[in-house]
Amino acid sequence: MTCQDLVRSLSDYIDGTLSPEARAEAGAHLAECDKCHLVLDTTQCTILLYRAAQSPGLDAPRREALVRRLEKACRGGDEPV
Amino acid sequence: MSASGPAAEPSRLDELSCLESMRRGDPTCLGGFFEAWGDRLYRLSLRLTGDPAAAEDVVQEAFLKLMAGAEKIEGRSRLSTWLYRVAYNASIDRLRDRKRIVAVPEEAEDETPPMPALLVDFLSPEEMLEDAETRHALDEAIAALPPSLRAAFHLRDVEGLSTAEAAEALSVTETNLKVRLHRARLLLRERLSAFVAGRREGHA
Repeated sequence: MTCQDLVRSLSDYIDGTLSPEARAEAGAHLAECDKCHLVLDTTQCTILLYRAAQSPGLDAPRREALVRRLEKACRGGDEPV
Repeated sequence: MSASGPAAEPSRLDELSCLESMRRGDPTCLGGFFEAWGDRLYRLSLRLTGDPAAAEDVVQEAFLKLMAGAEKIEGRSRLSTWLYRVAYNASIDRLRDRKRIVAVPEEAEDETPPMPALLVDFLSPEEMLEDAETRHALDEAIAALPPSLRAAFHLRDVEGLSTAEAAEALSVTETNLKVRLHRARLLLRERLSAFVAGRREGHA
């Protein structure tokens, strides 16, 4: 397996969707190739970073106002909020 | 048979029966339904539009469409992909409207994954996130991706949808979804590597 092959199957390796044979080949390459190992580590770290840095979502006042608008629309929009 | 069924079962029933009652004009459980979905749709739309007001508008549109819809949505996974799809399409519409004003990165013609060029060690995610500049770099790196790659990465890697669910939400094949995800991961890795390398040089 070349470095290019490894990079091509990197996402499948991370997601655990390689066949057992392909996974073993990738594992053998990773054990020997520091560069590919670093690419794997930093790609996994990239995913974890975005997961951990998840934005909080709507703030409370806007959320409440939006829910009230939706409740009104749900009832048919003809009732006072 | 026994009480050992999947723990997620009750909430699955709740959301779907809640949807039915909302469609009958009863908003009693709307707050709870919003609690479950509002932020998820908001975050996807915010990633795509970069505009909190537009993202809020998209959430409202998705909920109104869901409540006004007549077709039966079977299963929680269907509900999830339906909502994400409406939010994605509504966000893309708003991006198109704005395209004359702000530059939106286009999808590259070349579908081959980019080969990693920069090789630097990262610190642990916890250590990196102590630094406000890292958060800014994360936002900038993902904003530089075409929206279709951003959405694939966000739904799969941040929101945790399966390949099949994310593909359905974005109306693409699973193969196409996997190609987009792979490109997105490698491009983000490269940009964050550039950020880390730049910081290290700056501190040296």
